[in-house]
Amino acid sequence: MKLNLKFAGVAVAALLAGSAASAQDVIGYITKSATNAGWMMINQGAADAAAEEGVNLVSVGPAFQGDLSSQLEVFENLVAQGAAAIAVAPVDSAGIAPAVNDAMGAGIPVVAIDTGVAGAEVTSFVATDNYAVAKVQGAVAATLVEDGQPIIYVTGNQAQSTGQERRNGFMEAFAAARPNSEILEVPTEWNSQEAQEGVEAILNSRQDIAMVANAWDGGTMGAKAALENLGYGAGDVKLVGFDGAGDAIAAMDEGWVHANTAQMLYQMGFQGVKAAAAAARGEDVSARIDTGFFLVTPTTSGVYKDMVGIE
Amino acid sequence: MADVSNPQAKNNLQDRIVLGLVKFFKAEWSGAFLAILILGIAIELASSGRPFFHPSNLMTILNNSAAIGIVAGGMTLVIITAGIDLSVGSVMGMTAALTGYVASFWGFPPYLAIMTGLGIGLAIGAFNGSLVAYFGMPAFIVTLAGLSIWRGTGHLSTGAQATPKLPETFDYFGRYNPFAGLRDAYKEGTLTGVWERIGAFVDDNWINFFRTFQMSMLIFIGFFILLTIIIANTRYGRWVYAIGSNEPGARQAGINTPRYTLITYMFCSFSAALGALLFLGRAPYAKSDYGQMWELDAIAAVVIGGTSLFGGRGSLWGTFMGVILLKLINNGLTLAQLDTFWQMVVTGLIILVAVGLDIVRQSGNPESVRKLLGAIAAVMAFLALMTPGAIFLRAKIAVLEHNASVDLREAGTQLAAGQNARLLSPDEISQFQTAASSNLLAMLLLLALVIAACFVVLRTSRSISFILAAAFIAMIIPLVLLGYQITVPFLVLGAAALLGSAFVHALFAKARTLDVNAA
Repeated sequence: MKLNLKFAGVAVAALLAGSAASAQDVIGYITKSATNAGWMMINQGAADAAAEEGVNLVSVGPAFQGDLSSQLEVFENLVAQGAAAIAVAPVDSAGIAPAVNDAMGAGIPVVAIDTGVAGAEVTSFVATDNYAVAKVQGAVAATLVEDGQPIIYVTGNQAQSTGQERRNGFMEAFAAARPNSEILEVPTEWNSQEAQEGVEAILNSRQDIAMVANAWDGGTMGAKAALENLGYGAGDVKLVGFDGAGDAIAAMDEGWVHANTAQMLYQMGFQGVKAAAAAARGEDVSARIDTGFFLVTPTTSGVYKDMVGIE
Repeated sequence: MADVSNPQAKNNLQDRIVLGLVKFFKAEWSGAFLAILILGIAIELASSGRPFFHPSNLMTILNNSAAIGIVAGGMTLVIITAGIDLSVGSVMGMTAALTGYVASFWGFPPYLAIMTGLGIGLAIGAFNGSLVAYFGMPAFIVTLAGLSIWRGTGHLSTGAQATPKLPETFDYFGRYNPFAGLRDAYKEGTLTGVWERIGAFVDDNWINFFRTFQMSMLIFIGFFILLTIIIANTRYGRWVYAIGSNEPGARQAGINTPRYTLITYMFCSFSAALGALLFLGRAPYAKSDYGQMWELDAIAAVVIGGTSLFGGRGSLWGTFMGVILLKLINNGLTLAQLDTFWQMVVTGLIILVAVGLDIVRQSGNPESVRKLLGAIAAVMAFLALMTPGAIFLRAKIAVLEHNASVDLREAGTQLAAGQNARLLSPDEISQFQTAASSNLLAMLLLLALVIAACFVVLRTSRSISFILAAAFIAMIIPLVLLGYQITVPFLVLGAAALLGSAFVHALFAKARTLDVNAA
């Protein structure tokens, strides 16, 4: 018995010594998806930032894209395990708020990535200004069609700030430039199958659609499949994307996609985790970090591909 | 048979209509079919542009139903054996991803990749089926575990990366159009004689008809025809029903129930794999996150189609209709450009209505049918009520929220940004107040109709139904005068439902005498 206790004491001391020696802060990183092409770039940026900062990054994703309950659970677990800071990409801006409040209350800094938190303070919000970029997307899209030509807009999840801001920004800028063009909407929850089926249904009932603009590049690829299913060729109906994902840029080279507003996805993950690590060390972090965007068109696609490393 | 033994039935048109109705409602798919018809008409009225019941639109719906339809076909058999398979969505996603993966990264020729995919399906089915049939584990748990296992395996084995490009062979499962070659040849002018005339016909009607005539749809229909024939004509088919209605009894009767349960689960996973191939034929790339939530859609389609979740009863054509109904909801609501959040609400309501129709149909009780028709009239009156009602309520709520914010502020509470947005300018307040008062009368009139219709659901006589139907029609005049033309179709439909409800008992009595005569 005595021996056992002594042994336990040694073990605990060894553990403490070990942790003091490495002195690695544990940063929790809760991603929105581990399988979406865009999110994999963000996650890569997060991993690289953690390596650079020398922190221990614990990444966890939801069971499936859009699963709030598993994200809340993971959040609580990270708080309980004593993470030094948490970087989170909320699947639901309002739904995550109570968990964020609890963590901030317990003195754990929280950095929101890509999607903001509604109803709770965060240490920093690292994202593209979706609304501003969507306005650029809408204005560029307007130059591709004539006034009066109807278009389709594939929305993202309208219960989320990212989806709302992208839609509102696009609608405002496009409608201002092309007031007589009808905008038909295909609602989705970031699901390319919904995009494909909705675009196919509308294209099939009307022959006058000039363009399909999309709130994200999964929608762009779904819309491209819909065009192929109906026997359209590249350029017959113009596509406009959002995200600058690799497959959409490849489709641009083939003549399908005419414009794409790329977020600096890698930067979002990279700067998000850097901000979290800095906050964990007690440094001051800017409350809003804008990671910017890049307008990809057939003429600038080469520059963009070099920049983000698409072959 | 009825016609031969009872010459009167043959001659009397009215009797034949009644018999036809009885036969229609005895079919398990009639509930879903009716829901499709009603929904289609509603969308037709609501949407502009090309008619909803246009062949090319219907074929688009069939094309997009194909993949999930085949998955639901396999699910139907499992559910008839009183089992469940929650893993179909994950199996579909994993097969789609792996098939695409071996085709584009391992250089497998397409046919070998396809065989690999189908083989994976069979293997997973054998795994699920053995655990359920031979180890006695609950199907719900085995396949719930599978839902997670196979999704994870799919992500792991492909790195959750999309395949860059699928071989063209996959188009034969999806977007391939049998007439495309003919049309191309016609355009090049290489056709002669009769073929040239056919080519010209195809080209003229390309957009209207032939463009959407694709393999997805053909495989989908062919699969269901084949499966129906197998189930109706083989021992296996009879035993599936026997296992579902009374498993111990089936075993005592000498049926090797574990073996047939195993086969059923294998078939279900095989269908999921086949569904994956059909999906690849229309999708932009192969990826392991395909098929999320498909298990729920497939189960919904099966249940909407009149198959009992407790096993032993159900039909494949019901499932066929159920799948089409689900896809039709998406397609139709998109074409009608309904607001996103309303689409969610309406989708759920339509599913409830379809299943409700089926339950009433199965009960075979005239009183339930009468109550259903009464309820439909009440719902129609309610929908009409919502037009002025929504404006009235929104105005009242806006003013109420404004007052609450003002009270809070006067009490010295710090208001958050969202709460401040609820404050109104004096102009807005007066606008809302006029909106509320100008809608009050129409709302009260319609509210009276709703209450009367609800009362009729509980208790009625034929004359009361007539009187209320007349009241529905009469109400049109004041409402149109008040400027609510939009409520007219609802009121007409409500009146029709009430008139119908007055004749339900007579119709059932007639059908019964005819049935007795026939027997």
